[in-house]
Amino acid sequence: MVATLDRRAPAPVRTRRRSPMRRRQARTAFAFLAPALVFFALLFFYPLANEFVTSLFAGARADEFVGLGNYTRAFGDAQIRHAFAVTLQYGLGALVLSIVLGLVLAVILNQNLRGRAVFRGILLVPYLTSVAIVGLLWRNILDPQVGVLNRVLAAAGLPQQQWLTDHPLATLIGITVWQQTGYVTVLFLAGLQGIPHLYYEAAAVDGASVWRRFRHVTLPLLAPTTLFVSIIGVISSLQEFALPYLVTGGGPAGATDLFVFRVYQTSFAFRDFGYASALSYLLLIVILVLSVVQLKVGQRHAT
Amino acid sequence: MRRDSLFPGARFVGYAVVVVCCALTVIPLLYMVSLSLQSDAEVFAGNPVLWPAHLRVDNFAVLFSRVPFGRFFVNSLVMAGLVTVAHLVLDPIAGYAFAKFSFPFRRTLFVVVLSTLMIPFFVRMIPVYVVFSQLGWLNTYQGLVVPFLCDAYGIFLMRQFLSALPDELIDAGRADGAGELRIFLRIVLPQAKPALAVLALFTFVFQWNNFLWPLLATTTTDMRTMPVGLTLFNQEYFTQWNLTAAGSVVLFVPTAVLFFFTQRYLVRGVALTGLK
Repeated sequence: MVATLDRRAPAPVRTRRRSPMRRRQARTAFAFLAPALVFFALLFFYPLANEFVTSLFAGARADEFVGLGNYTRAFGDAQIRHAFAVTLQYGLGALVLSIVLGLVLAVILNQNLRGRAVFRGILLVPYLTSVAIVGLLWRNILDPQVGVLNRVLAAAGLPQQQWLTDHPLATLIGITVWQQTGYVTVLFLAGLQGIPHLYYEAAAVDGASVWRRFRHVTLPLLAPTTLFVSIIGVISSLQEFALPYLVTGGGPAGATDLFVFRVYQTSFAFRDFGYASALSYLLLIVILVLSVVQLKVGQRHAT
Repeated sequence: MRRDSLFPGARFVGYAVVVVCCALTVIPLLYMVSLSLQSDAEVFAGNPVLWPAHLRVDNFAVLFSRVPFGRFFVNSLVMAGLVTVAHLVLDPIAGYAFAKFSFPFRRTLFVVVLSTLMIPFFVRMIPVYVVFSQLGWLNTYQGLVVPFLCDAYGIFLMRQFLSALPDELIDAGRADGAGELRIFLRIVLPQAKPALAVLALFTFVFQWNNFLWPLLATTTTDMRTMPVGLTLFNQEYFTQWNLTAAGSVVLFVPTAVLFFFTQRYLVRGVALTGLK
């Protein structure tokens, strides 16, 4: 997506001498850009640099220089390695499930189903619901004492579950799938609508079955969308904070100790700002690598 | 002529899958409404009910009297409103500069702006928190609002939209001797209404729902926003679930209403930008 940005803008004409008109244009442009640039400098790039500097210090006031000590500490920290593994499981689990479900729903909705707009709208609602609502609501529904889900299961003759103690991570993945599948569906629907109908007709003329049309026309042509959804999905899951904070408290026994929740605990509960900054930077590096992959592959598709 | 289904009755099965998924999507939210109308006895009995025997609308009155939920509501409105206004000023003006002006380092600066998309909030939160606490900005509106005044998504969206605007329109304004700011306000902005609507909608909903930053940046009851205020019903020994649910309904309804009336734009916005 990002790779295609500059196409529509006219290429600036290179002249040896700047005319007064052009200089005036440049002045105006800089004046218009100034507020945004100052904002990004102060609230994005300064924090980015500051976070790195802080990551080189230890102590409650982050004033004891330790070089890369926080980073080596992180690599040796079993709790951190565990949190990272849990976060990856969570991110991949939520991603795979919501992609499969979202793709199925998008393919069905793409067949001029009656009431398509209504269904699409309904599916998108949880995505626009605050994580605070989502977290608290599901904690109530799943609660062993007051939760309604187990009661419904019992009434239906199904076994009851200790959701948050026996399968905590799977439960968080389920909540995330509930929240983001509609969003994934809408992205896939947009991708499906970008596939020219001609391809399907050609495949049908060749006698391809519905399954073969899906397998050899839809899936390959949907690959850019799938990649986009995957990277966006993983990047956002790696940053999940509210669910462990509101639903499980990271437990039981660290089973849902997602990385940003760990960063939050390290900084705002234990006041170990230097170490927390180093942890943030480690996650940032992972996310940057993913973003670069997306840029590179996106570029290849754009050209 | 061509067979359109995988197996006989596939269309019906597809319909059923969609209906079931929609039901699973909506039922928890309906249960939230039910919960918000239940009595204390129903909530605490350890015998949860799907729907209350009597609708206790009273919960909403209790919500606003026992907890300063009205104050949380106002704080949320101020935070989301101010951030939206800031975006509506800063994003289009920067997007316009990138779309219609030629100046040195334009490409570089654009890449710099876009690169901020790769700086997630969790990287900014600790340094911004530390600086704001030194400035005394915790528990203030500026503390809630300033980290989100504009963003690369909005600038990108406006740049794409304004690139398609005919240059003649702007040149005509210049020929008439209008100043650049006046051209922007009187000629460019009115043309950008559809994009501004999408931008406003997303910005508002996103900040209205924002949880992590208000959680960090506010500690006094007076300055809490609704998403954070909801968690205050979690007391040490029990949680007042009916009040939590009532608060959730109050938080949810404005987004739902907004969504209902602007679904078309929102869906297009999601599909266009992949906005997070």
